[in-house]
Amino acid sequence: MTLLLPTPTRRAFLTSAAAFGASAVLSVSVNRTARAAPGKTPSAIAFDGNALIVGGAGFIRRDDGGVSTPLPGPKSGSILSLATHNDRAGRIVAGLSNGGVALSEDGGQSWEARSQGLPEAPVVAVAAASSNPETLYVSVHGDGLWKSEDAGRSWVFAMDRPWLADAERDLTALASVDLATGMGGIWLYAGTGLGLTRVPDCFCRWQDVQPGDAMDALVSGAAPAPEAPLPTGEPIHALVSAASVPMRLYAALPSGVWASADAGVVWVQRSSFRTDAVAVHPNNADQVVALTEDGLIQTRDGGLSWTPLANN
Amino acid sequence: MKRMMLLLSAVAFSGLTAIAAQGQSQSTGTQAEDLTVLGYPVTDEQITLGRQVYAQNCASCHGAELQGQPNWRRRLENGRMPAPPHDESGHTWHHSDQDLFDITKLGVGGVVAGYESDMPAFEDILSDEEIAAVLAFIKSTWPERQRESQARVTAKAGGGA
Ligand code: HEC
Repeated sequence: MTLLLPTPTRRAFLTSAAAFGASAVLSVSVNRTARAAPGKTPSAIAFDGNALIVGGAGFIRRDDGGVSTPLPGPKSGSILSLATHNDRAGRIVAGLSNGGVALSEDGGQSWEARSQGLPEAPVVAVAAASSNPETLYVSVHGDGLWKSEDAGRSWVFAMDRPWLADAERDLTALASVDLATGMGGIWLYAGTGLGLTRVPDCFCRWQDVQPGDAMDALVSGAAPAPEAPLPTGEPIHALVSAASVPMRLYAALPSGVWASADAGVVWVQRSSFRTDAVAVHPNNADQVVALTEDGLIQTRDGGLSWTPLANN
Repeated sequence: MKRMMLLLSAVAFSGLTAIAAQGQSQSTGTQAEDLTVLGYPVTDEQITLGRQVYAQNCASCHGAELQGQPNWRRRLENGRMPAPPHDESGHTWHHSDQDLFDITKLGVGGVVAGYESDMPAFEDILSDEEIAAVLAFIKSTWPERQRESQARVTAKAGGGA
């Protein structure tokens, strides 16, 4: 179990925010890999249509022909997290190491800040609601989950961090999963330093992932133990749900890429390289790119076989 | 004697509940029309009883005006969540009638396995009728949008009967 990110209480965090900001960024990169200089390494990947986008200290757009174009990226900090939505081609949402969110509407050519109302702390994870591309979620380090219903123009605090093993845990990954909760909405899945959790998008309560919807959990009382959960206590670096098959999830863990075909009840390990980020093609749930210590690798068969992606 | 007590306490509480009623009357009033709880039509008497039950048993945590505890989205130091509002600004209306009944009767910890919560179980304090009445009262304060949404959730869960 690696838990290098300090998990201060929110109050402690706010008072030491200035001093802490720098060290948090550093420990994020240390946590992610111990390769090149911190900040130089990519931290996040996503698909924008057929193009793969890679964010870190800079920003790279790689078209499906394999041609990579380096772009300046947001001015206000390096990228820790990325999100796109299949109904908004060209729109990219980036969570920044210096705090705040930057948004591009042109595939990463130009960026504008969408940080109004957000606390100044690293935005560790970002997701667009699968049911509505204007709705965005971000995880703010040391703080909690924030929500925007107008593509980042304004933000409200949605929910505090989950309480796991006697402490609040930062959300290290977010994925909106288009699966009914039984409470009139869909699920937001999240990764923490200790594993997987989820909350209905009414933000009532964090709960463990289990078969059935939130209602079943309440009715049956005792939750049946998941049959093949992710390895206990392992941090989740990234989490995605395939837009074309929402129940299909991929998770990036230190032990590799893991896949689930049933929205997170049963997981299968699909690679054994330490993985820091993962992206799934919006129209092909079997096409997945993973960011590993040795660079980007790709599968077109759901993770049965992987090949390196050249040019990264 | 029981009825006597009820009437007396009704007078005592009318002050408190007047505040609550004022807040609601702007949006919907507290008419029972078209509202059901656990599959049965809500009556005015039920709402009156529910208002009293609420003031006596729920208001101390969830607020006299159903507004919830201050800063209710932030976890307390002990790791538990504060009491959320029961008006439309909270998430009560995302639960089916049966869920709301179970949560009130058994506490949140009683229905979500392993979950620690400050929401008490009311099974030894309130009768099933009183629980239904307090839910009827809470539901009667919601605007149309929340009522409709919660009715759909209840219907999907099997009618809430
Ligand atoms: C001692 C304080 C306290 C009292 C008294 C109390 N509650 Fe609660 N209630 C809570 C807390 C705290 C929560 C949030 C629990 C959680 O999520 O951890 C809660 C949650 C709930 C919920 C779940 C709401 C949701 O959307 O998740 C319902 C329903 C509820 N209470 C109903 C009632 C009713 C009805 C009464 C009166 C009969 C009542 N409560 C009295 C503290 C209280």
